[in-house]
Amino acid sequence: MIRHLIPTSVAVCLGVAALWQATDGLRAITAEGARRVQVADNPQPVSQVMLETMQGDWRALHGPSPTLVEFIYTTCPTICQASGGDFAELRDHLSQAGLSVPMYSISFDPEVDDLSALQSYGELHTATGAPWTIARPVPADLPQLLKTFQVTVIPDGWGGYEHNIAVLLIDAQGRFAGAFDTRAFDDIRDAVEAAL
Amino acid sequence: MIRLASAAAAFLAACLAQPWVAGDPVVHVLVQFPLLAAAGYLLAIGQRVPPSLTGPLLVVALTTAAIWMLPRSVDAALADTGWHLAKFVTLPLGFGAPLALCWPTIGPILRGFLKAQSVSMLLFLGFLYTHAPVRICNSYLVDDQVRLGLGFVWAALALTAIWMIPVLFGRMPEIAKEERYEFSRHG
Amino acid sequence: MTTASIGNETAIASTQAPVVKLTMLLSGVVFLLMMVFGLIMRAAQGGLIELDPEFFYLLLTAHGAGMVGSAALSGAAILWYFSARYLDLRGGIYLGFLGLFLLGVVLILGSIFVGGYGGAWTFLFPLPALSGGLWEAGAAVAFCLGYVAIGVGFLLYYLELGLKISARYRGLLGGLGWRYLFGGSDADLPPPTIIAASSVLVFNTIGIVFGAAVLAASIVNLLFPSFAVDPLLAKNAIYFFGHVFINATIYMAITAVYEILPTYTGRPWKTTRVFVGAWAAVVIFVQAVYFHHLLQDVNMPAWTLAVGQIVSYASGIPLIGVTVFSLAVYIKGSGLKWDLPVSLLTLGVIGWGVGVIPAIVDGMVAVNKLMHNTQWVPGHFHTYLLLGEVAMAFGFAAWLVRDAARQTMSGLDKLVFRAYVLGGAGFTLIFLWSGASSIPRRWAVHYEDWQFQSQLASVFALVVILATTVLVLRYAIGLLRRSP
Repeated sequence: MIRHLIPTSVAVCLGVAALWQATDGLRAITAEGARRVQVADNPQPVSQVMLETMQGDWRALHGPSPTLVEFIYTTCPTICQASGGDFAELRDHLSQAGLSVPMYSISFDPEVDDLSALQSYGELHTATGAPWTIARPVPADLPQLLKTFQVTVIPDGWGGYEHNIAVLLIDAQGRFAGAFDTRAFDDIRDAVEAAL
Repeated sequence: MIRLASAAAAFLAACLAQPWVAGDPVVHVLVQFPLLAAAGYLLAIGQRVPPSLTGPLLVVALTTAAIWMLPRSVDAALADTGWHLAKFVTLPLGFGAPLALCWPTIGPILRGFLKAQSVSMLLFLGFLYTHAPVRICNSYLVDDQVRLGLGFVWAALALTAIWMIPVLFGRMPEIAKEERYEFSRHG
Repeated sequence: MTTASIGNETAIASTQAPVVKLTMLLSGVVFLLMMVFGLIMRAAQGGLIELDPEFFYLLLTAHGAGMVGSAALSGAAILWYFSARYLDLRGGIYLGFLGLFLLGVVLILGSIFVGGYGGAWTFLFPLPALSGGLWEAGAAVAFCLGYVAIGVGFLLYYLELGLKISARYRGLLGGLGWRYLFGGSDADLPPPTIIAASSVLVFNTIGIVFGAAVLAASIVNLLFPSFAVDPLLAKNAIYFFGHVFINATIYMAITAVYEILPTYTGRPWKTTRVFVGAWAAVVIFVQAVYFHHLLQDVNMPAWTLAVGQIVSYASGIPLIGVTVFSLAVYIKGSGLKWDLPVSLLTLGVIGWGVGVIPAIVDGMVAVNKLMHNTQWVPGHFHTYLLLGEVAMAFGFAAWLVRDAARQTMSGLDKLVFRAYVLGGAGFTLIFLWSGASSIPRRWAVHYEDWQFQSQLASVFALVVILATTVLVLRYAIGLLRRSP
């Protein structure tokens, strides 16, 4: 009996360890969950890119202060509109807490989203340009950006896209350091304060 | 010979399904995964292993199955080359083959438990995929997610029918074998 | 390995007896403890004692889970004991079942009294996850894992029964008696106990499989809150599982009546076509009847509510009818000597039959809209549990330690039995009365206008507890007397 039990027990221990590893310690079972857990544990450097804002000027993605980012496309009929509203609420929430950090809604569809599209999206969601603006990267920078932030964009078959949405934090060292639910205002505020 | 040929055929079919897996989770999870597992199962069926390995082999099979049940593994198999290759190695050799090796020496109660557990887990996955308010896999559309969920439910029903009909009519291989294998993990 | 020869009806499965006896002692003690919890809750509602409402809900959760658990445990012990008269059941499986059951009990009690989980035994989504800070997600997970352990234990138990029945009676269809029902010959017809065992194992295994799925979903939701579960689907799965599981307790315990009564009346309990048909109705309808728990969920499709109402009649009535009628026929003119075991078993059958009446009333959509969240519903299930399953369990326990030399009831036995009946009937009638006067259930604090009923109920509860204490002690002493 013991001869049977020992190898089995060893296997069970290894199996549990493998599952623990595969779920980042029972914290993530989806790719989106894994992204949130992993960047919180291990911030990833973000290569600097220039973004064209809806006002038509060019700005660096990250600077000396923490930056909040989300990826959208303006013709999105569903979650980008909801997350636009959430981003506006987040801005108000942060300003009430006396925090003012750059916030970007970045279009991952820069070919279609021209400046006027960015502007009308901004207008719809009350983005005034400071601290929150709508922006688009140069198409050549896009693949690297999506890879760094682990954003997966797939065509939805109706001319639009489905994509994972979250509020992404770049810390003062220019590292991707957090991904949050779009309505987790308190968590985001705490993370921004910690990253200052 | 036939065994090896069918194992190779299953593996080949799984490889041929590859062009469709990125677009359709049903092909990925409910066609390619089972084909890969079947390839390993056919490869190892009939081979004998010492009884002391039954437990560890079963644990290996269950752990592999559990890891591939995670939505993030399904995503990773599409997004990451390492995971992509791991899928073609671990599903046959970490799940199908160990299962085939340990199954003959497993007692009827444990077998029944494993069958009930698989139906239960398929229903659970069906429950999760059809009703989750969030997208579970980044690589797949919400509609496909629901289709996959329904696929899990159908799989559960099919397995129930396959496993229950012999029990209802009393034609179970387990009963004949029971006399030979008195050993049962929980007995 | 038992030595009982298969099919020999007179052989008593002696090797299974010690562990079954232990189980009955365990169940008896837990029943008693849970009754005390019940008394505390009723006394608090009656304003007789001060109780922190938070603690009330811990007690409510423990009382629900504990009573369902010990009803299931005692039912399982009874069914195992008598099935072993016909089947070569392995004691090791039973020990595995008991071990997993106790593991589950430890997890559940720990989650409640250490972790502070007070989300009721039904763990309805999203309550376990939304505790308002009263308990951590970990406590709710432990509670769910406790259920999983018990479910796994029962699965092993039913698998062993299923394997052995299938082998002995040519498949489960043989064990269920359906081959005979649909025109087959009565050769090798299983005895009533095996019909009951086959039926219970079929529907309860299905219930457990669904229960495991919804438990897994609940655990995932607790650990990963973004995986919200569809509340209505979860409620369907939970009530399917819960209804089937609690029904199974009594369908297992009834085998004590089938096996013990004949030794008193001298007339064997026969498997007839009507009997098999009634059990077939149970197997099918017990799975469809849970809809009557969802009559208040306006989103449910209308047909399900109609099914819930109609099947409420169809599910229990045939079998209860057959059992009560057969019991009356067997007893009538048999010159039966009424001792404590047979009195309790008969009470169990009557309590079961009577307890279903308020359920059927509540199963009507029109009544349910008014009554479902009142004490009418506890009135129903306390009748068929306290005066039904629990009475059968104590009857079986008393029979296990009966003194063959004595054939009548002692003065103490008579007193205890009458106190149990009186206290139990009074207690449950007050629930029904309170329900009819629209007093809500599950409220920790009652208005002054409602307190009289609770006070009265506390008195009756105390009587039941005293009677039960004597029953448990009498059983424990009986065990000691018999074992050297």
